[in-house]
Amino acid sequence: MSNVKRREFLYGLGASLGSVALSSMLHADEKAVKSVVEQSPLAPKTPLLKPKAKNVIMLFMEGGPSHVDTFDPKPKLNSMHLEESKRTKGLATGKRFYVGSPFKSRKVGQSGIEMSDQWQYLADPEVADELCVYRGCKAESLNHPEALLHMNTGSRLGGDPGLGSWVTYGLGSENQNLPGYVVMTELALPQAGPANWTNGFLPAYYQGTRLRSKGSPILDLNPPTFKSRAHQRKALDMLAKLNSDHADRHPEHADLKARMESYELAYRMQMSVPGVVDIKSEPEHLKEAYGFNRKETAEFGRQCMMARRLVEEGVRFVQIFSGGWDSHDYLEKGHSSRIASVDQPIAALIKDLKQRGMLEDTLVVWTGEFGRTPDNNYRGGVTSLGRGHNADAMNMWFAGGGTKAGTVVGGTDDIGAEAVDCVHPIRDVHVTLMHLLGLDDNKLTYFHAGRYKQLSQFGGELIPEIIA
Amino acid sequence: MANHNCSNNKGLRMKFSLTTLICALTVSILSGDHIHAQDDADRLFTLRVLPIMKEKCFGCHGSDPEDVRGDYNMLTRDALIEGSTDVAVVPGEPDESPLYSAICWEDSEMPPKENDRLSEEETDYFKTWIEAGAPWPDEETQLAIQKEQWKIRENDEGVIVDHSGGTGDDWTYRRYQKEDIWAFQPVKDVELKIDAQEQNPIDAFIDKKLKDAGIAAAPQADHRTLIRRATYDLTGLPPTPEEVSKFIRSSNDDSEEAWSKLVDRLIDSDHYGERWAQHWLDVVRYADTSGFSNDYERSNAWRYRDYVIRSFNNDKPFNEFVMEQLAGDELRPDDAEAKIATGMLRMGPWGTQMIPQEEARQIYLDDLVHNVGQSFLSMPMRCCKCHDHKFDPMPTRDYYSMYATFATTQPAEVEAEFLDVENLSGFDEKRKLVEELLAYAKSKKDEVTNKQEDAAKKWYKEHDLPYKNVNARKDDPEDEKPPRHVGLTPEEQGKKKVREQDVWIWERRLERYQPMAQGVYNGQDDWKNGRKLRVAKKIKKNWRPENFILAGGSLEAKGDAVKPGVLSPTGLAVDPDAENPWAITDELEGRRLAFAKWVADDKNPLTARSIVNRVWQYHFGKGIVKTANNFGVKGSKPTHPELLDWLTTDFVKNGWKIKRLHKMIMTSEVYRRSSKPADAKKQAAVDPDNKLLASWQPRRLTAEELRDSTLQISGELNREMGGVPIMPEINMEVALQPRMIQFSIAPAHQPSRTPAERNRRTIYAYRVRGQADPMLEIMNQPNPNESCEVRDAAAVTPQAFTLLNSDTMTDRSIALALRLQKENPEKPEAWLKQAIQLSFNRAATDSEKSTLLAYLEEMKSYHAENKPEEVEYPTEVVRSLVEEFTGKPFEFIEKLNVYEDYVPDSKPWTVSADTRALADVCLLLMNSNEFLYVY
Repeated sequence: MSNVKRREFLYGLGASLGSVALSSMLHADEKAVKSVVEQSPLAPKTPLLKPKAKNVIMLFMEGGPSHVDTFDPKPKLNSMHLEESKRTKGLATGKRFYVGSPFKSRKVGQSGIEMSDQWQYLADPEVADELCVYRGCKAESLNHPEALLHMNTGSRLGGDPGLGSWVTYGLGSENQNLPGYVVMTELALPQAGPANWTNGFLPAYYQGTRLRSKGSPILDLNPPTFKSRAHQRKALDMLAKLNSDHADRHPEHADLKARMESYELAYRMQMSVPGVVDIKSEPEHLKEAYGFNRKETAEFGRQCMMARRLVEEGVRFVQIFSGGWDSHDYLEKGHSSRIASVDQPIAALIKDLKQRGMLEDTLVVWTGEFGRTPDNNYRGGVTSLGRGHNADAMNMWFAGGGTKAGTVVGGTDDIGAEAVDCVHPIRDVHVTLMHLLGLDDNKLTYFHAGRYKQLSQFGGELIPEIIA
Repeated sequence: MANHNCSNNKGLRMKFSLTTLICALTVSILSGDHIHAQDDADRLFTLRVLPIMKEKCFGCHGSDPEDVRGDYNMLTRDALIEGSTDVAVVPGEPDESPLYSAICWEDSEMPPKENDRLSEEETDYFKTWIEAGAPWPDEETQLAIQKEQWKIRENDEGVIVDHSGGTGDDWTYRRYQKEDIWAFQPVKDVELKIDAQEQNPIDAFIDKKLKDAGIAAAPQADHRTLIRRATYDLTGLPPTPEEVSKFIRSSNDDSEEAWSKLVDRLIDSDHYGERWAQHWLDVVRYADTSGFSNDYERSNAWRYRDYVIRSFNNDKPFNEFVMEQLAGDELRPDDAEAKIATGMLRMGPWGTQMIPQEEARQIYLDDLVHNVGQSFLSMPMRCCKCHDHKFDPMPTRDYYSMYATFATTQPAEVEAEFLDVENLSGFDEKRKLVEELLAYAKSKKDEVTNKQEDAAKKWYKEHDLPYKNVNARKDDPEDEKPPRHVGLTPEEQGKKKVREQDVWIWERRLERYQPMAQGVYNGQDDWKNGRKLRVAKKIKKNWRPENFILAGGSLEAKGDAVKPGVLSPTGLAVDPDAENPWAITDELEGRRLAFAKWVADDKNPLTARSIVNRVWQYHFGKGIVKTANNFGVKGSKPTHPELLDWLTTDFVKNGWKIKRLHKMIMTSEVYRRSSKPADAKKQAAVDPDNKLLASWQPRRLTAEELRDSTLQISGELNREMGGVPIMPEINMEVALQPRMIQFSIAPAHQPSRTPAERNRRTIYAYRVRGQADPMLEIMNQPNPNESCEVRDAAAVTPQAFTLLNSDTMTDRSIALALRLQKENPEKPEAWLKQAIQLSFNRAATDSEKSTLLAYLEEMKSYHAENKPEEVEYPTEVVRSLVEEFTGKPFEFIEKLNVYEDYVPDSKPWTVSADTRALADVCLLLMNSNEFLYVY
């Protein structure tokens, strides 16, 4: 079927989203396109409050990165190394001993933010002075899946919508040819799996779409290899014919349009997704900056660059998971290798965003699900140098998106056992993130199971210290 | 939301005098003709101003003397007037009073949260009260005013509901709008007014409302549409072409008779139970695994699934169905069927890993209370875990009475012999496959433990101590035994954990073939580990748990003690004359049975209404009450309250029989209406959501219907019923993708070995909480962690990818193509005719035939030139994990033994180019809206 003919019968459906791509390809008038896009559940929406950030890139360090060995150094703890510990909180059992950090720490940048010396790239003043390190969060759960779910969905129990779902529910997405909420993981999914990015009780439009690092970037994105793109176009034209004949017989049935549109959208996504995923066109020096040429940084670097490309294309919320931070033993080896795998890519991401003038609008969040204890138990009868789970202290940082650059907010006690200054639960962090995006957690609600639900569950407080 | 315009148009605001305001706003507070201003101001303070202050102000400005914000204390009149740094209230002069301007959000904004902001009506109470001199009657006067008010159970402001009592008088005596608490009122005996003798009672109610709204009902749908509608509705499958033509023929003779016979045939079909059990399994959240961090298998959950299917097929009275699920073990302790039924109490996600025991127990009981309430009573209970219900007349006390009801209920795998009606076929072969995997895991585990024990022996020798094995040395002091992982590299330690976990997983799966059921028993709280839940060896018969109201749901905040009981706002007491009319037995045994009897009582206003509404919803796409899980104040109101009550009364009177209800609904005219409105414009204007049911609401096939239908039309569907879960082929990337569980990676999804085994109805497919079948999930199969009251059918783009491009759909289209070719050799036109007949239950039009034939020809030449590559199934997969302690990756091999002897479906590379071309046509039909929607 020729383009003209296809155009005819797609127009016959009325100005619908499915015809947008075609009509925009065919230079149809912009007004019609706009009105159609506005009908989509993912159409961009203007937030209630004045937003400081438009997009989010969330870097999730799964396993519980140790705050005292990353961005919350504790000299006193080092002086107590291997002394017996009497702490009984959390999962503490049996005899315990304190563990000093295997890493040195130093102040970096103009702002003098303290971080462990393992961060070599983030220590670059150009990057470090963009960070707003927050040391006051208490996570509440000690178990990985519950804590992951808490940080990602606001609820420990699973089944509630992910942060990105709430954000796309509140703001829509700028690009209708890509999913509004994209998740990238390692080959193995994080604990609690897709429940971390589910749409929960929100409509399915807001679910996170996983861009897979191996194989097809989206499941079944492309037809089996023996079917060409032309073959698929032909099939879609034929399907559109069947469907439009059917729609003519059922003018009373409004849902038909959305399904017909979804096929055209799918076709466009088949074009746009590989385009975003295909980073061949990126300059070599940039790839090198992201760490493509080093084995330990190549994968995370690629994902960080993808995150930038996605946000550039108008994707609202991008989340990347990096696992392996659960250092109960051999923390020195474990954490230094984890840091080495993300340090350079993250620094490159921030610089790249900055250079493109995107950092102002893009909120970068670095966090895990909880922090780690200043002491450890005798695992297997030896003084293994690692740390347990700690729900009372952790650290996270923000960059860009209207957060206060070059600051440290909140603090833990002198051995990092518990947050003591500017202490807030996870829900307050969520409320603050939403606020930065122009969303009021108390107003962005959805009626489900008998009440208006919200990300923070029952409301929370802003952490004004984080906001620029 | 009220209009917050205090600040911007102050000048325009009406100035109320005390009397006019009282007349305008608070008529009902006042009594008597001779209004005394002082009394009225006292009443205004007591009944209006003080409650607002309690709710919105005292949190920061009073309740906690240690933490008074900004030093402003509002607990007494003096302090309230005095303010912190400056006077806050000038009696008689609201406009001079900073408190008043603050609550109007003029100078400062109080209360500071937008959600708490006072409405104009509320700020006016303060204004009037300050004008009247801001009197603050003493507590005695306040109480007298309140008590007088409480005596009036019903007034213009609403009704006070009788119940067991809240945690405060304000809540206990608050008023509700009568229409908001409709569900707590007894079911009304509605008088039926039918126009003609033969009129279906349902039509009488529906048509009256339509008439009142001036909307004409759509005409009856044609016979073809009707048989497709009814067949999907009752069986979840499309009718066969033969069934369609037979029905149309007999309808031409006598359409009423033909319709009635059709409904009877479908209701009596075994597939009826499969379709309607799915609805109930949605509500109770059926899954074959436990969720949480380990997602342990519940190896016998399938027996509960089959129990539900049997119950629907046998038309078990719903009240009996309720009793069995809540208390089958107490009702008939020796009946395996009744024990299997209590699987309902095991459906929620639950685990114990790394959760303190008491908390894990609370999570289990809270889940039970909430979901029993939601499933049987349409009353979600979780809100009352922390406080008296914000909107419903449901005291937190009742939540905890219900909690106490279940406080002796313990989850366990219980013994339950297999029943004759259960499908036990293929047990031996299936068990063998599991045993192979278990043997492999054990041998791999032994490799590592042998190495460890060799090193341990060496250690003992070096330390001159006698060797002890792992268990024997467990409790020895650290310096008298070798380190825990002696002799093992960190990688080997990781492998050991992985294999230990594997052994658990396969040993557990072998329990599928044991006469066990996921059930409950009554006993004391004891240490539980989610991976193996067994009945306690010794049950302490005298054990009685103590239960309390837990403020804020916190185990540490014990309030009043509570005894087992039922929900009081229903007005249905257990023993009206007892001191506590809501209490049930507090023995170890019998609590659930007493509760179940109350739930299933003919007079319970919630239970029968709830199921009648659900049945209605599944037929029409929306319930008479749209929120099928929530009949509370914030749920939807019934669109046809009289119809709901009439149907409910009739349902109960006739023995709680669901099939009878189906028949009544389906023989109504409203069920048989066309989807095309008689007057589309008028209907769109007057009733845009089609609440009045003037026309039929089309619906999309559910995920399960879609898969089952493709299997049926392709001729592949194996209609065998019941038995251990089947494993369909799912997206290969997902099947093999590593899925993290605690310490390890869960086993890969391996499909059942033969097409007959796996191409069965979807209700029998293995349901894993941690890993959904991506195709079903994308077609809106609900997440089994939450009760699903109604299916979502949102059209999201990835659905198109799955339906067009997935291997599963490719396989179905090839199977259909092969069927067409086999049944009509060498007759392309006949292929298309049959394909359309199978997919759409109608004849192909000439233009369809010619268009599709041309497409077929074009595809033939395409496929002649484009040959698919063969894809092989892997028999093992290399897994990589990051060792938890070192952060270093290590690898191990997982066996995929099913593929060693696998019988695949027909694949693109096993069929001819012509078949692939025809399959392209079939795939389009399976993607088309006409196939996916039921009219």
